Amino acid sequence: MEPEVVEAEIVLPTYLSFKRVQTYEKYPKGQSRGRHWKHLKQIIQSENYSNYPSDEPTYVSIESPPSMHPCKRICDITGFEAPYYDPRTKLRYANAEVFRTVRSLPDEYVQKYLAMRNAAVVLK
Amino acid sequence: MPFISQFQRQSDYNLFSPTTPIVIDNGASYFRIGWAGETEPRVVFRNIVQRPRHKVTGETVTIVGDHNPALMKYFDCTRSGPRSAFDSNVVYQFEIMEYILDFGFDRMGANGLEIDHPVLITECVCNPVQSRSKMAELLFETYGVPSIAFGVDAAFSYKYNQHHGVCNKDGLAMCPGFTTTHVIPFVDGEPVYKGCCRTNIGGYHVTDHLKQLLSLKYPYHLARFTWEKVEDLKMEHCYIAQDYASEAQLFRRGGKEAEEKTRCWQLPWVPPPTEEPPSEEEIARKAAIRERQGQRLREMAEAKRSSRINELENELHGLEFLLQQLDQVEESDIPSFLSDTGYVSKQEIESARAKVTQSLRKAKGEPKSDQAETERADSANSEKYSLINIPDETLTPEQLVEKKKQLALKSMSEGRQRSKQKRYEEEMQRERRLQLEEEKRLENPELYLEQLHAKYKDLSEKVDQRKRLKTNGNHTNGNNLSGGVGRGERLNAAQRERMRLLTTAAFDRGKGEDTFGARDEDWHLYKLMSRDNDDDDEGPDEDEAELARISSRLQDLDPTFVPKLDTGNAQSAEAVPRSRPLTKEDFQIIFGVERFRCPEILFNPNWIGVDQVGLDEMAGVSIRRLPDKDESLEERLTDSILVTGGSSVFPGMIKRLEAAIRMIRPCGSPIRVVRALDPVLDAWRGASAYASASLFHTQTFSRADYYEKGEDWLRGYQLKYTI
Repeated sequence: MEPEVVEAEIVLPTYLSFKRVQTYEKYPKGQSRGRHWKHLKQIIQSENYSNYPSDEPTYVSIESPPSMHPCKRICDITGFEAPYYDPRTKLRYANAEVFRTVRSLPDEYVQKYLAMRNAAVVLK
Repeated sequence: MPFISQFQRQSDYNLFSPTTPIVIDNGASYFRIGWAGETEPRVVFRNIVQRPRHKVTGETVTIVGDHNPALMKYFDCTRSGPRSAFDSNVVYQFEIMEYILDFGFDRMGANGLEIDHPVLITECVCNPVQSRSKMAELLFETYGVPSIAFGVDAAFSYKYNQHHGVCNKDGLAMCPGFTTTHVIPFVDGEPVYKGCCRTNIGGYHVTDHLKQLLSLKYPYHLARFTWEKVEDLKMEHCYIAQDYASEAQLFRRGGKEAEEKTRCWQLPWVPPPTEEPPSEEEIARKAAIRERQGQRLREMAEAKRSSRINELENELHGLEFLLQQLDQVEESDIPSFLSDTGYVSKQEIESARAKVTQSLRKAKGEPKSDQAETERADSANSEKYSLINIPDETLTPEQLVEKKKQLALKSMSEGRQRSKQKRYEEEMQRERRLQLEEEKRLENPELYLEQLHAKYKDLSEKVDQRKRLKTNGNHTNGNNLSGGVGRGERLNAAQRERMRLLTTAAFDRGKGEDTFGARDEDWHLYKLMSRDNDDDDEGPDEDEAELARISSRLQDLDPTFVPKLDTGNAQSAEAVPRSRPLTKEDFQIIFGVERFRCPEILFNPNWIGVDQVGLDEMAGVSIRRLPDKDESLEERLTDSILVTGGSSVFPGMIKRLEAAIRMIRPCGSPIRVVRALDPVLDAWRGASAYASASLFHTQTFSRADYYEKGEDWLRGYQLKYTI
């Protein structure tokens, strides 16, 4: 290990005195590290929220509802107000110049712009 | 930069008695740990872990937090990106959490056999009990902590500010964080979680949005937009517009105000070294060298030519001498005489002599006499093809064979002549066309140039369109990992046609058995298919050739012309056209609209595709959700609205919130929106103040409690914030 790395102490030591069980004992090498930790969706699913009184606030119940205000539409490329929408590429654009840019974009970029808005076509 | 990590190892761990709690603010962005009762956390670092391999020794090490990139070059970080223990705002990866806690305790100076202090740790609102119990288990089992308390960071921040008089005991806490935004109403100093509201938008999404916008706008500089750099940019330059529509209008008009609000980031750029025009002596010297080389070459060519002429002349003399000798010898003796010399008959000698004379003439530089050629060719023709004109019946069989041979030869040579003629004619035509163009150019250079440009544009558009149609599907499907042609890739017109034909053929007409191929006509299908492929490929070629010709012509004539690169290929769309030198402007990143467009998503999550309410509406939702409310309570709530959390430091946030809340409240009701004293550190400070209270130990639970009472009790565990 290079001297400056050792000096900077950026590496976590493997043995720490204040721990009862060390990490290498708990997670032996060789076992797949990307373990079976449940993701949030799975955690929420396995919580039996239905078993408990329904007026208690839970992680799911405090989530916000969808917006009531009409959504303001802005141009995907420039950020100005965009009353227009291109049916072929499904992008929103603000004026004729931007439209020219929209039509000349290669497909990859179109999908990336749509992905920003979570509107890309995902083929599985 | 407002957020700075500090992780010096503390040395006074042993000075604190075992009753002093350790306070941890476990946030999705930063991890802060310190002692209760102090105003600043001792150790602060980013809540991420990396596990790279050391390049030299090959061992995998763990690195917590963000570190000096110069040190990171010793590690191979390609396979290990930074990983977080959080999924949204809930901890789910406890292995990573363990590394983080290790590091945190280690830097606090912990030594001894276990952590012998009570721990107060923050969590998210309504944390799922699984996460909570795993955290408790981790702390109890691995670190030996005697007792734990869980609290909500936004609540601590509110209490802290309440003690300092910034807000009242009834109020609303709005906390835009790193991954989520919460609005929590407080009644009598306690948070009412029933009225709480959470949207899954935070500072992370703002930075991500900015990063994507910049990468798409400046694909050439993609490598420059790292996460850390974009976060820096966001913190420095982004602001929240008072009214988005009018700001956008301002920029659209593009006046002076818009100019002032636009920031420009100049990337490092070195102009290419300009070559100095070579000085006079250089030019003269180079010219002299070239002269000398040319001279030498010419001399060599001369020498070769003269030697060849000499050779040929000698040969000619020899042959003529032979002929003369032949004349003197009698007829019958010719074969024996000639056997020495290697020629068989007089004609041969004569033809050889003719050839040598011809080459001699060529070497001497006389023009080849075409006339003589063709005449001789004609005469040869009439000799060679003597049999052709004689009708068939009068010839003997051998002569017939001979005649067929001659016919074939004649047609071949005629074909050759015809093609030569055609080529010659084409040459003439091209010459004529070029001449015409030259004339047109000379008489009106500008008009000619314009016409050329117009033609070029038309042609290039046509070619591009055709190319795009052909390859439209082939670049989009980055998701498609399989090697074969999948459902999404058959977007080429020919391939689509092929698929259509195949599916119609395979269509089961209900007779049960598949009888395709039983009849011969079925296989004609494949003939149709390949014809489709061929047609597509041949067409554009002439257009492309024409395009190339015009482009080269334009390049010669017009110094400002830039040939359009092939944009059908997505790769080259990134490349700045390099036929003109890169200028300083190419390396400037302009922030105009992005400055206020990105933080705007906190108010309009729809722009990211998250279908939830924005910050302004959340206040209304939260008040509506309160279980029992009356007018006065609502007024008290809106009278003290505290804005805290890492993403609340954007300039303009307070004014915007005030305006937005005024819209949803009845006219005249009091509205007061204040920012926390320190939106980033207040959560930790509040927790520290709380933990140093004398009754703190009544709010904690110990290991024994945890194992006796079990998970159900843990679910119901809530901290009481006023003690």
